[in-house]
Amino acid sequence: MLGQIAAEFPGKVRVVYKDFPLAFHEGALPAAEAARCAGEHGRFWEYHDLLFVAQPAFSKSDLVTYAGRLGLPREGFAACIESGQHREAVKADVAEGRAAGVRGTPTFFINGRRLVGAQPIDAFREAVQAALRVGGDKRP
Amino acid sequence: MVAVAVGLWPAAGTAENGSKFTLNPVMTRGPAAAAVTIVEFSDYQ
Repeated sequence: MLGQIAAEFPGKVRVVYKDFPLAFHEGALPAAEAARCAGEHGRFWEYHDLLFVAQPAFSKSDLVTYAGRLGLPREGFAACIESGQHREAVKADVAEGRAAGVRGTPTFFINGRRLVGAQPIDAFREAVQAALRVGGDKRP
Repeated sequence: MVAVAVGLWPAAGTAENGSKFTLNPVMTRGPAAAAVTIVEFSDYQ
């Protein structure tokens, strides 16, 4: 859905994905780590999109299979998952989210304004239009 | 219908409560100079 929003506002929208795996979603943490492993090969977003289609099949074998579908090296990918090398980064995202008041998923911040839960696309259109009306991103 | 408040919007990368967000370029799409940044916290399950 956010891809559609970006397409509707060409050049005006940037999307940042932050991991917030919920503890009761058993496969969410390994999936988040696997997506970052794909990111090492420049394929984060393709793998991310694939995971949302494939959920909730997130066994290690599944995660490696998905990498293979993208043409990523299976052995290296499996080693990346097993190493846990991205776990701390995922946990850092969770800590940032909690500090910002995130309690569930999905939670969005549109130029800082929070939007909680699955929302109709019109909610995003309205939020982006509102952000643009007030001048958008004020960062230098 | 979802109401979206319009007022003084914090700069991108900052939550309403002032918390800062780090941006991992690998997990970001769209131009860095975009007027609007959407930060999504989510899980895959």
